[in-house]
Formats: sequence, C-alpha cells, structure tokens
Amino acid sequence: MRDFLPRPEIAPAVVWAFPAPRRARLSNGIELIIFDLPGQHVISAHLVLDIPLNAERAEIEGVATICARTLDEGTKHHNGEEFAELLETEGAGFGLDLSLSGTQIVLDVPASHLDRALELFAEAVTEPSLADRDVNRHVQLRLAEIEQAQANPAQAASIAFRAAVFEEAKRAARMNGGESETVSHVTPEAVAAFHHDHFGPAGATLILAGDFVDDPVAVAERSLGSWSNDDQRRIIIEDPAPGPRRTLLIDRPGAVQADIRFGGFGIDRLDPRWSAISVGSYAMGGAFLSRLNAVLREEKGYTYGVRMNFGPLRTGGSFAVQGSFRTEVVDDALAITRELIKVDEAPFTSQEVNDAVAFFTGVSPLRYATADGVADQAATQVLAGLPDDYVDRSLALLRSVTPEAATETYGSIVNPDELTLVVVGDAERLADPIRSLGFTDLEVRTSAGSQT
Amino acid sequence: MTSGALTSLSYPIVEQTLENGLRVISSPDHIAPSVAVNIWYDVGSRDEEQGRTGFAHLFEHVMFQGSAHVASGQHIALLQAAGAVVNATTWFDRTNYFETLPTGVLDLALWLEADRMATLLDALNQENLDNQREVVKEEKRQRYDNVPYGDVMELLNTLTFPPEHPYGHTTIGSMEDLDAAMLEDVHSFFRRHYLPNNAVLSIVGDVEPEDAFERAEIYFGHLAAGAKPAKLDGGPLLPLSGMPRTETADKVPADAVYFSWRLPARGSRAFDALDLAFSILGHGQTSRLHRQLVRGSEHAEATGASTMGLIGGNSFGFSYARARDEVSPEQLEQEMSDVIEQLLRDGPTEEELRRAKAQFERHWLHELARVDSRADALGEYATLHGDPNLINSRIAEITAIEDGDLRNAMQEWLRPDQRATLIYRQEQG
Repeated sequence: MRDFLPRPEIAPAVVWAFPAPRRARLSNGIELIIFDLPGQHVISAHLVLDIPLNAERAEIEGVATICARTLDEGTKHHNGEEFAELLETEGAGFGLDLSLSGTQIVLDVPASHLDRALELFAEAVTEPSLADRDVNRHVQLRLAEIEQAQANPAQAASIAFRAAVFEEAKRAARMNGGESETVSHVTPEAVAAFHHDHFGPAGATLILAGDFVDDPVAVAERSLGSWSNDDQRRIIIEDPAPGPRRTLLIDRPGAVQADIRFGGFGIDRLDPRWSAISVGSYAMGGAFLSRLNAVLREEKGYTYGVRMNFGPLRTGGSFAVQGSFRTEVVDDALAITRELIKVDEAPFTSQEVNDAVAFFTGVSPLRYATADGVADQAATQVLAGLPDDYVDRSLALLRSVTPEAATETYGSIVNPDELTLVVVGDAERLADPIRSLGFTDLEVRTSAGSQT
Repeated sequence: MTSGALTSLSYPIVEQTLENGLRVISSPDHIAPSVAVNIWYDVGSRDEEQGRTGFAHLFEHVMFQGSAHVASGQHIALLQAAGAVVNATTWFDRTNYFETLPTGVLDLALWLEADRMATLLDALNQENLDNQREVVKEEKRQRYDNVPYGDVMELLNTLTFPPEHPYGHTTIGSMEDLDAAMLEDVHSFFRRHYLPNNAVLSIVGDVEPEDAFERAEIYFGHLAAGAKPAKLDGGPLLPLSGMPRTETADKVPADAVYFSWRLPARGSRAFDALDLAFSILGHGQTSRLHRQLVRGSEHAEATGASTMGLIGGNSFGFSYARARDEVSPEQLEQEMSDVIEQLLRDGPTEEELRRAKAQFERHWLHELARVDSRADALGEYATLHGDPNLINSRIAEITAIEDGDLRNAMQEWLRPDQRATLIYRQEQG
C-alpha cells in the first residue's frame, strides 16, 4: 500500500444567497410571495393565515386544530370523500401546520397540476363543509391522539415542560392542538363560528415555490383572488411569559429510561442576542461533539443523544437540554449536565465559535435548495415578522459573533440554578437520587396524584 | 384506461468502476454549491450470523470511532465544522454512510470515507466498542423498549419469517446479542464486508463527472479489493401459510390489530403492483381502510398499510388499525379482513389506481429533488438492482402497471389464509 494522503484542506465556500422572491398582491389583498426555482418539479404552496392560537376561546382550545383538520373533509361543491379523491388524483398532498403565531395550510403538487389543485385547495380553505359528523370524529381522533402522546415518554416530557416553563395563563403553556379538557368541548357550531370569524384574506400570505409551468400570479388570482369575508376578525398575538421554576418527576412505573427536559424561558429571533445564543447553544448541545454530547454519549455512553435546543416564538421562547437516559444513570447524567452547562469558568472558545458559524453557513445552501425548504422558511419568516433577506442577514450577524459575546449572551439566558426540570421515568427509582442532587423542591406526579 | 405520468425524468447519471471494484456514480446538479456523498455497503442485518443480531448496526456506530488518521468522533466533527450534515443508517439490506457538504469540502469527505474503509481496525479498541455498545443499547431503549407498541416490528418479523431466515430478526437486534459482540467480531465483519468491491459511492451535486471520478480514484483507488461475500440466501419463500397468530398485552393507549404478509422481492412487477395495492388499502385519506374504519364505522382511530421492499427473496407487507374506545380488537380484525377481501374480490377502481400512481409520482419527485436523497436512491438502485439509471424510469414503470397486475399479484400473495395476525391489547389495571 502506498503512503497515506494528508488530510485535504477545505476550499473556501462560494458566495451564496437565499433565493430572492418576487412579490405581488391578489385583488382581495392577499400577499403573494413567489420563488422561481428551476428544476423543482413539485410546487410547494403555503397559505399563511394570521390566526394566532390565542384567538381560540379558553374553554374550547383546540378548535383551530379541529377546524383546520376538517377543511379537506368536503366542501360546499364536493361532498365528503369526493373532495379528497379529486385532490389526490391530481397527485397533490394537503398538509397543516398550526403554530402559536398562525396557521399554515400546505399544498405539494407536481407543477403541471398546480392550477387545478390550487383551485381545490382554495375550496377547502374558503368553503369547507365542516359537517357535524366530520367535526365530531376529529374531536374524538384528537382525544385519542392526546392519549397516544401522553403514553410516549418523550412527548409527555415536552408537554409537561411547556406547561411549566410558560406562565400558566398563556396559550403557549398548552399543546397547540389543545388539551383533553378543552378539546372535548369543541362542537360543530364552535368550529363553524371559528372559521367564519377568523378565516379570510386579511393578513393572509400565499407562498409559492418551484418550477412553474403556468404564471403563478394568474393561477393564484383565479383560485384565491375573489375570497372575501366581511366578518373576519383579526386577533393580536399574545406574548408568552415565563412560569415559576419547577422540578417535576412524572411517574412511569417500570420505565427503562427517563426522558429529561432541563431549561427555561428563551428569546426570539428578533432579539439582538439571537445570533450569539445560536452559536453558544450549538457549541453546548448542537454539534455531534458538543460539550454535552461529547461527554454524555461519546465518553459515558449514557444516552443515544443529548442536545440543547432553543425554540423561538414570535416573542420570547424556550430552551432545554433534552435526552433520554437509562434509569441507572439518570442522577449522574443530571449532575454532569448541571456542571457542563455552566460557562462562567469555561467560556466558549474561538474554535467553538468558528465551528458553529461554519456549520450554519455551510448547511444553508442545501437546506434551501428545494421548493419545500424555501417555502417553509419563507412561511416561518412571515409568521415571525422577519424580512425576505432574513437568512442572509442572520448569517452575516453570526459571522460577527465573538467568543466573548457568545459566552456573555449564553450566561445572560441560561442560569443553571433557575432552570425548570422535568423527568418522565420510574419515580420509585428516581425520586430519591434526584432529591439528593439538591432538587429538594421535587414534585412527584403519579397516576394517583401529586406529592412533594 | 389510465392517464400517463405527469412528469418524465432525465437526471444525468454516469457510472465508472475503479480497478478495485468500487462503483462510482456521478450525477451533476449545480442548483446549489453543495455536494452529496453517499456510500452504500452491500451489508445489512440480513447478513448477521446467529447470536449476533444487531451487529451490522453496532458496526455502523463503530465506523464513527476513528481510523488510522482520524480520531474518535472526528469524522462527524470535522465535517460539521466544515458545514456538512452527516449520518448513517442500517437496514435489512444495507448500511449507508452519507454527508452533504459545501463543494469545497468534497476532498475532505472522500478522504475521511476512504480512511475508514481502509484502516478502521487500526483505531479500534475495547473501549470504543464498549462505549458504542452502550449508546446502541440506549438507542434501542429510546426507540423500541420504552415507547408504546415499540416491539411490533419484532413481533411481526417473527410471525412472517422463520427465526433463522435473514429477515427473521430486526435490525436493532437483541440486548443479549449486543452484549455478546466481541472485538474479533468487528474485525471479521470489517474484513468480510467493508470492501471497495462491496460498495457503491455516489457523488451528486455541484461537481462534474470527470472531476468526481478523478477524486474517487485519488482517495479510493489504492484500496485493495477482497472476495465479494456470498449472501445468506433466505428465499424466495412461498406466501405465508397456516395463518400464524400472536397476542400480546402492554401499557398502550389503545388496542390494535396488525396483519403481515410475505411478498415477492422488490424489483419485480408483482412487487410494484402490490405496493400500489397497499397504497390503495392504507395510504392517505381516500384509502379503503381509512374510509371504512376511520370515517365509515368510526371504529378505528388510525389505520395504515405499507410494503417494505426487500431484495433477498421476499419483501414484507403489513397493515394495522388502532381501536377506538369500546371497540374490540376482534371486531376490528373482522372489519380489516372484510376491507381486504373486498379489494381482493373486486380489484381496485380505475380512479383508485390512478390516485395511487399519482401519489407515487409526487413522492418520487420529492425524493429526487434533493441531492442527498437522490444520491441515496442512486446507491440503492445500483446496489440492490445493479442499475442506478432505474431512478429515471421508476415513474414510467409504475405508470405501466395495470389493473390485471394488481389482481393477479393480490390473488397470489394477499389471500386471507396467507397473512399473519398480531393482536395488541391494552394491559388491564
């Protein structure tokens, strides 16, 4: 065998920019954002409706989700199954994404079928039947879905964490699709009223991305340009607020692992600290050899993976260290985590900062090379109130983050002594070890009730 | 008659084989300054020996623990710090390693892949193996042992294939077998399967074919070929008989019923026809199971049906329904059975067949739209079917399937006495 080749150098990255859209306006005021992407044969269409989830009445939270899920169960022109059949025959996929800041209704369809598919899509959005039987079934299916989510330890941990980390009164504290107590009160009348009050062209944005066969402006105008709703009500989005710090153990007798969420209230993308915290959290818990994963997975073998995740909302947000650990090592994993997430004596290094910046910069061209990748990001920007060139701007800001700024920002947001802890696991084996780590305020929640 | 395809594809595909047998596939695409590198090794859990289930996947983890010139964990760390996304997966028929990167990082990626293909064993030690064994056991707990219905795949495998069959056990394997894996196993597995002539390297994106082949030669050309390992041959087996049946109970939120079938191997018209049949049965809102059990009788909270295409003699197919409250699994089983028998008796409607093809087409276009998933598809078709160009003709192949193909394939493989049944009950108390 010949001598080995030295490790190759990396050639500098070429300049890249997020695709620039063209904008237009339909005759009813709907804002149109169009991305022409050659070679992308599946068109991605996102209709973004300005319906924050706090538009739901408190006693029927979940109504927005039931309404959205019933849209494609039949329209005024095409009853029941006929509608879904027509849409699927066009090779189209219909999807939904409900977030606290608004509702997205998504269509994916081969370019040659956009015209007909968008017409059907518009029918579902503007003139759905919302039949009693369909609404009632979706209520029951949502209740079953909640049971499934609560039975999954990772999902149960995330649900309990958001309930703790946000102030109880805020919509952000509860599941986007609503909790059992309120979903069970959603009626067909309430769904019809929600659609009537909140679905309309005002504040709506239609994003279209792909390699178009027909003029997308004309196609959009034909399908959605004449939609009107004189009764449409616009609701101002509610700002979330932090809840009091808590330490919670949710019992899952006999579980072989515990799912952990350890975090607090965070910041949003418009916060001037966003770029610095993106760098800091990547170094702490984003990279494969992040401080957390390098020790807890690669050195100790305690977990399949641990990460620190920041979830921005329109304003504020949350963050958490999250992972699952076998029951025997949970206390040690927590003790190690609590030390590792401190940066005051171990500030971020310039190597860590450079690696984070290179990662975010390098992955962007691919992430935004497809129609759905671009349309997803554009929709996120609409919902978060960000400009068209947000990706380029945020990458430029990342490149100016210094190790000092990353460390200082991280320290200003992540205070290890004030974090909320949620553990979903075997309480009998975990309660004492967790208490002896100093989490003396531990609340244990069993099927029989809560105790401290 | 059915309509033609909505779209025809012509992705450029160029293939060369190095002297040591490494197949290299290039598909240039300059839409973004990115390149996808993907290596399919023709080894999966079907190649595991008795008492070593889960080993192919454990081995995949060990591949990230360093090689002669790369420290443990640095394969991913170096690439991430250059702006790449990196991962690997193991399945019944394959182990694939892949990274997508800025164009200027291509040499580093090829060098890293070549270094571990050549010199993995130089860096291997007991500590690395033990550490990754623990990580894999955590993965098994997280994805299978600690979630509701997490053992369904294992139960269905056991029902559908004999225990000694290559597909008779899951890719994740058993804790006992993971514990039993020794350093010597890693050595022999590497020497046997991780050979240039047992791999396909796909390079897709912002690089021209001549350039891609030249670089492949630089980094991989000097590696020595070995004896191409023989495949454990499991089949083809006949359709299931004797209506095997298992019941289990656990802390799950709802009772559930699963059916499974042996199907013909992928790469046959019969398999493609059955794939469309399963789509008609259980994919999406207009599928028969959803219409009749979720919308119609309202006895199910969720339904589905899917094939799992495999190359070693047989594939695998399954369907399921989860019961709403107050509905017994027996009742659900009867309703599922009725739906399937009706499809068997009457065949699909013309519209159903058209919809299933249209949905396949969108799914396939989506798959090929990204350079990373296109690279993976090229590796898949080159490895399992010997021809990467098939990715361009898949839509036409599916479009050409006719009503009679579905009817014949269903009569041969999906008759009521050819399935296995799993009843999953909610544990009381």
